[in-house]
Amino acid sequence: MPDDAEGPVRYRGRPLETLQGETLAQALTRQGHRILHRSIRYHRPRGPFCGVGYCTGCLVRVNGQPNVRACRYEPSPGDRVESENAWPSPEFDALAPLDRLSGTGFDSHRSFARPWWATQFYYRMIRRTTGFGRLADAVAPPPPPPGPPVDVETAVVGAGAAGSEVARRLGAAGHPTVLLDRGHRSGPIEGTMLIDRCTAVFLPPPSGPVDRPFRLVAAREDGRGLLVRARTVVAAPGGYDASLLFAGNDRPGVYTAEGAIADSPSPTDPPFRKAVVVGAGARATELLDRFGASVEAIVAPGPVGPDLARRASELGVELYPRSLILRAVGGRRVRGLELAHRGAGETFQLTCDAVVLAHRRLPNSQLHFQAGARMHWRAETGAYYPVLPDGVATTVPGLFAVGESAGFVGPAALESAQRAADTILGVAGSTGAPSRVEEAGPHELEGYYRELLGRPGGIPKTVACPCEDVLLKDIAQASQRGYRGIEVVKRYTSLGAGLCQGRYCLPDALLLLSIWEGRPPPEVGYIRQRPPVVPVALGTLAQLPGPGPPGAS
Amino acid sequence: MSRLARDRYRVVVVGAGVIGLYTAYHLASAGAGPILVVDRGFLSNGASGRNGGGVRQQWETRSTVRLAKEAVHAYRRFGSEFGQNIWFRQGGYLFLAESPGELDRLKAVDRVVAAEGLPSRLVDPDGVRRLAPAISLERVVGGSFLASDGTLYPFPVLWGLYERVRALGVEVALGVEATRVRTEAGRAIGLDTSEGPVGADVLLNAAGGWSGELSRSAGLTVPNVATLHEILVTEPLRRFLDPMVIRLSDGLYVSQTVRGELVGGLTFPHPSGTSRGMGSSPEFLSTMARALVRLVPRLSSVGIVRAWSGYYDETPDGFPVIGEDPRLRGFVHANGFGGHGFMLAPAATRRVAKAVLGEPTDLDPREFGPGRFLEPGRPGTIERLQPG
Repeated sequence: MPDDAEGPVRYRGRPLETLQGETLAQALTRQGHRILHRSIRYHRPRGPFCGVGYCTGCLVRVNGQPNVRACRYEPSPGDRVESENAWPSPEFDALAPLDRLSGTGFDSHRSFARPWWATQFYYRMIRRTTGFGRLADAVAPPPPPPGPPVDVETAVVGAGAAGSEVARRLGAAGHPTVLLDRGHRSGPIEGTMLIDRCTAVFLPPPSGPVDRPFRLVAAREDGRGLLVRARTVVAAPGGYDASLLFAGNDRPGVYTAEGAIADSPSPTDPPFRKAVVVGAGARATELLDRFGASVEAIVAPGPVGPDLARRASELGVELYPRSLILRAVGGRRVRGLELAHRGAGETFQLTCDAVVLAHRRLPNSQLHFQAGARMHWRAETGAYYPVLPDGVATTVPGLFAVGESAGFVGPAALESAQRAADTILGVAGSTGAPSRVEEAGPHELEGYYRELLGRPGGIPKTVACPCEDVLLKDIAQASQRGYRGIEVVKRYTSLGAGLCQGRYCLPDALLLLSIWEGRPPPEVGYIRQRPPVVPVALGTLAQLPGPGPPGAS
Repeated sequence: MSRLARDRYRVVVVGAGVIGLYTAYHLASAGAGPILVVDRGFLSNGASGRNGGGVRQQWETRSTVRLAKEAVHAYRRFGSEFGQNIWFRQGGYLFLAESPGELDRLKAVDRVVAAEGLPSRLVDPDGVRRLAPAISLERVVGGSFLASDGTLYPFPVLWGLYERVRALGVEVALGVEATRVRTEAGRAIGLDTSEGPVGADVLLNAAGGWSGELSRSAGLTVPNVATLHEILVTEPLRRFLDPMVIRLSDGLYVSQTVRGELVGGLTFPHPSGTSRGMGSSPEFLSTMARALVRLVPRLSSVGIVRAWSGYYDETPDGFPVIGEDPRLRGFVHANGFGGHGFMLAPAATRRVAKAVLGEPTDLDPREFGPGRFLEPGRPGTIERLQPG
């Protein structure tokens, strides 16, 4: 509980202005607090990046509780907000020199492995300087009591275009349906129970009774746990904007597209003065439409289409197609972006105070994986999608996949929704399978990374996994030492072991390993994510039914 | 074309977990000739890559305490010997008792441990508080503590062994499945694998959760049962918990890693066998969440990042099976570790290597030998501190 429930929100002891409906991250960014904490290993400066509650860029301590994501937290009067893993402040952290002193990075496997006393000293030092937040000052206020489990015929996960369409059709037919969404959704859907601000975190393979074989675990934003039992599940969790490997990609001021949008003080007012947007697809166009006046340049790993080129020239935005993104220049914050034209040695620099990554959308495939659906690699997007032997049905009986997470975008997303609803309702309405993105050549990033890795002089210190501070060099080293396959390299480097569970590092690491191991990405391995989809508080999980610990009655 | 370099080896080890690789290391160091290690998965896919990394010496029998003591010494030397950090940190093991009966069990163990010269001690609730200030003392009536017990990161032990055995000439074939033991006239002569048959003078069953299946493929009746065990890890926190804490009442175990995460599990029933695959369950997550919050109430806002599971290879008496099978010459067991393979590996595998080479060991076959399950009136089950 806040000390002073009437007073202003305080950040590091000073009053912080907060506006109605604003997240803590927005308020902090708006008032110039760009560095919110320091990274786990090298104490590199970090700030908001993903904007959707996955990464570790905006972890803060709120009212004595550790590891609160500022981008998902709406402050209340009297909240005390502090920074974590930084002393005396995130801007001037005493351990910041570690990043430079460690040179190209520690070899955590072999540094100080002998003699015994040196090892012990090393472990002790690491133990004292690592971890994010301190243990809570006091027991957190308990979440509201959970409701009983929700029993329905169909649970729809994700209220985007496809998920809403499925729920609308099922609801209209009187089919008992619940629609879950992570965000805030305005407006009900007739005939459907809508539960928003609620993240579906765990969908184990169906194993319950025949009429409700699925048990879907969800976590509500207010801390309540929710168990949904359903006969069928329609997974429509959508996608997210990917990261990209370049030196300084973890520096405050580098955002994903949705991160930049989420961190904006208002829908058209960006969290930067001049940004370089990376990418040439629909997402880049969207950013131009939204923040056009504050976009300095568009940089793309591949070609730029005529529509975007026209839009850019209307706005006076410079275009740099077919470029290698080498380095975000700057100290505690981005001051520029160093580039090279593909196939050329010379580098050049653009001045900017933000880099927005809008080059690639990836599917949220965690629930499909968890449920045991067979997945397959689609080279043109460079990601895994559920195998759909019959239109929208996965290989798990009763589990359907629609929308972006299943590879259906644009009109196909709605077609996939219709198909799922018709199948569930037993209506022979839609015919033929909705078409997914056409198979094309390999993803453009495969060739891009091949060129980047082959550049003479090598690559500067690059963080491949910001949650765990795993460097590109660490992955290369694992490969050189004979570890093959993403599963083993993950464990060797701790790549993807952090809070985002590899969302922002594994897709690119898979492409790199494919190059180093000389085999196609699907042979390098699955990008498997273990439950839960996002970290869930123990107090939330404790609310879910279970057999209870033996002897604890 | 087979991926295997030879069609015949002196020793074929099934299982590239800590038991298989450590044995291969001892064998290769002794110059035992061509050695092949096969594993159906990737390195660290089995229990060796799925455990909580606890290494304790508080055991119910003196022979096991001796093995564990030797294992602790080996893990202390691991960095020097293999040039690999394994993050072995001796923060101690703190057992918690919540009833006089549980305390009596700890006292009995304490006597055995003390008899082997280890300075374990019984502590009262105040002593518990001093060792782990964050934990709730509600219901705690006492505990036992041994400071030289500790925790390590399991993965790097495998990396160190893997790199070393390969440098010593051992062939490690990953993704190669052992499908059947080949026998001839009461003797194991080799193995059918997914890469074709391979001959062996000695076959070592170090297949962990799959060891029962392998023995049975040789026509042997063995009591090994694979039991799923779930485990989870939380977000990293700054250092606040030094010892591994084990609560007898629900089998909860939890430790804080060098990086700050809490890793732990608890006794949670699952049907046996490997047919259902390795997964997690909502019931485990909620049970474990309640157990952790009961232990440290201030953890309630901390997030679980990841849950996974693996197999315990369990035997009826809870002790491992080490030695040549009396019914099948050339077939040596190193299995049934029941979730304690990592704790005992460095010491147990020295004996396994001897058994492979046909040398005598200091292990009592009535305690560890595969023949013990065949004898009528074999020793009764000992009450275990920690099931599994």
